[in-house]
Amino acid sequence: MKQKFARSALWGVLAAIAVSSTANAANYDLSVDYVTIDTGEMKTTGIGYNGSSPGPTLRLKEGEEAVIKVTNNLDEATSIHWHGLILPYQMDGVPEISFPGIAPGETFTYRIPVSQSGTYWFHSHSGFQEPDGAYGSIIIEPKKREPFKFDREYVVVLKDKHPHSGARILRNLKMMPDYYNRNQRTLGDFISDVSENGFGATLSERGDWGSMRMMPTDIEDVQGFVGLINGKSPEQNWTGLFKANERVRLRFINASAMTYFDVRIPGLEMTVVQADGNNVQPVKVDEFRISVAETYDVIVQPTADKPYAIMAESMGRSGYAFGSLSPQEGLKAEMPARRMDAPLLTMADMGMDHGNMPGMDHSSMSSGNENSMAGMDHSNMAGMDHSQMAMSKDDPFYAAGSGLTPKAANGGKFLSYADLKAQKPLYPERPATREIELRLTGNMERYTWSINGVKYEDAEPIRLKYGERVRFKFVNETMMSHPMHLHGMWSILDTGNGKWDPVKHTININPGMTVYSETEVDEPGQWAFHCHLSYHMASGMFRKVIVEGGPAVAALENGVQ
Amino acid sequence: MPNFKNSLMRRVSVSTFILGALVGLQSPAFAGAGHSGGHNDGASEIGAPGEISDVRRTIRITMEDNFYDKEKIIVRGGETVRFVIENKGEFVHEFNIGTAAMHAGHQEEMMMMMEHGALEADKINMDMMEMDMGNGMTMKHDDPNSVLLEPGKSAEVIWTFPKDAELEYACNVPGHYESGMVGKVRLQ
Repeated sequence: MKQKFARSALWGVLAAIAVSSTANAANYDLSVDYVTIDTGEMKTTGIGYNGSSPGPTLRLKEGEEAVIKVTNNLDEATSIHWHGLILPYQMDGVPEISFPGIAPGETFTYRIPVSQSGTYWFHSHSGFQEPDGAYGSIIIEPKKREPFKFDREYVVVLKDKHPHSGARILRNLKMMPDYYNRNQRTLGDFISDVSENGFGATLSERGDWGSMRMMPTDIEDVQGFVGLINGKSPEQNWTGLFKANERVRLRFINASAMTYFDVRIPGLEMTVVQADGNNVQPVKVDEFRISVAETYDVIVQPTADKPYAIMAESMGRSGYAFGSLSPQEGLKAEMPARRMDAPLLTMADMGMDHGNMPGMDHSSMSSGNENSMAGMDHSNMAGMDHSQMAMSKDDPFYAAGSGLTPKAANGGKFLSYADLKAQKPLYPERPATREIELRLTGNMERYTWSINGVKYEDAEPIRLKYGERVRFKFVNETMMSHPMHLHGMWSILDTGNGKWDPVKHTININPGMTVYSETEVDEPGQWAFHCHLSYHMASGMFRKVIVEGGPAVAALENGVQ
Repeated sequence: MPNFKNSLMRRVSVSTFILGALVGLQSPAFAGAGHSGGHNDGASEIGAPGEISDVRRTIRITMEDNFYDKEKIIVRGGETVRFVIENKGEFVHEFNIGTAAMHAGHQEEMMMMMEHGALEADKINMDMMEMDMGNGMTMKHDDPNSVLLEPGKSAEVIWTFPKDAELEYACNVPGHYESGMVGKVRLQ
């Protein structure tokens, strides 16, 4: 025991020496505190950092060693996970996997060699502290100038603040999975469907839903929240100031427990320049959907001297967040009308609908249009079939006929994963060395969520080998979207764009869809891999990943045991 | 074989393309920020191709991903300037002199070029650029007020500025202008 301690202390000293000779250290302090969260309508006790929820924005610099001292002022254990940061696994902040956690009254020092840049966030990985308010943002300044220019910037953190604590929400969901679903179909709906579709069709459709243990309104299983922007409710109106014609960079982070948001700024086009901290080739959109845990950086250029609304409606339309971009303090943007057409899941989202879209081969759609372009005969382009172009505009990341397929409020461009192309590919292209299938599974009636039908507690870890390139095949067999987050290593999302495939930390998989991502296994240690919806993660849609081997096998064996 | 032919064609087309830009400089006719065959609007307000004999000054502009090394240039009203443009980036970039409105119009055309595969992030498919769009117009990029360059390529533009105008030089490859790849021309 003593010897082990001495050895790890020696390792610590060696590490400190190595670090001080290669990088500048920068010190940050965070305290984890009980805080009051006041949305104007409700005051709740939650958890925050440095006395507030959300916590502060940490500004790190690429190339430095960030030394972050975290002091736990709670009467329960805590942890901080640096979402999207590439770091030694002992610094990743997942209790039981990276480290034992931070006991009440204790201070833990994170040492992070900052090797990347962009927009990220941090949150507790203990219990339901994150839904209860334990989150903050991270900006990492790049060493080199960025491939875009802006005059000012704001972090825009979205959050679904619920009046109930996370623990209470999960208890209620376990007891009654539709506890928070206010939008159930009624006898009235049944009668109107019968008059539209006939009795037999309606009855058989209801039967299909029943056997799935799901309802078409199961898009947001936790409703009744207030959408926050940087901790402010719509009424409290978070405001970012600008001068007309300035380029404003907005760093959107979805720190929600359960809620996807459709974000737009009526009157302004948004140029998406970064996704999950990695620069993408700029793409102009009118609206985008941000899954839980994702980040998107956009640049807007308001030309008029008037306030603009930042409107973030939840995917299921049960709630919204709102704020203003304004030329002066106190000038509130006019809130755009909310879209009340709550989407309904369809048979396509059940993965059952193969018959009603004649002539469309969806399997080839989802693999992207690169192949069909390559095979195109360029010599007779004059005779090009433009209908083909229109078809490729359907978002290939939603099942054809899905009730979730988004449409821009102004009829314009809605961002698709297919639009995301790496600005500078991080890894050279190479074929994957093997494929691992992960079926996303669950039983809504019992509120259990799993991977390949097995809950976390009962599952073996996923074992990867250092140096291999793994292709993950996500097959979503449930009727909810799942944002899958692999810790510690990048996920290269297969959008069919070859070398331009974007690199992300969180990959959303919609119902009825199969999505692929590849990972260069380049970080030794053990990592978490899970659905980032808080209550799905807590109910079993979670795996431990062990990376075997590595350049520093010996060091690892001498490290945390 | 097809590969060889392809790359040969590309080389030939690229040089034709640059030649086209140079020939354009000599020709008395000029176009706006658009493509050949259209857009004569705004030509006089933005100036005209200049003669090498009138050049007193060379301005070098380096294009990177996705920005110019200069955020503005200052020229005298009526001055003829020789621009030497170099693309040091890994993407295709444009140097185009025009008004903000002309650039906005040109961005839509460039978007179409990209959707049709004539323009890719890091290369120009010249054979497709020269294709007849069905109305006698091509997507060929041979206007004297602009050059569109693949990574590593350089070109010249000789331009006589008007006495007074609100001008910008910009890259209209989709998304680049919005990301800030635009500079002001200050006329004195």
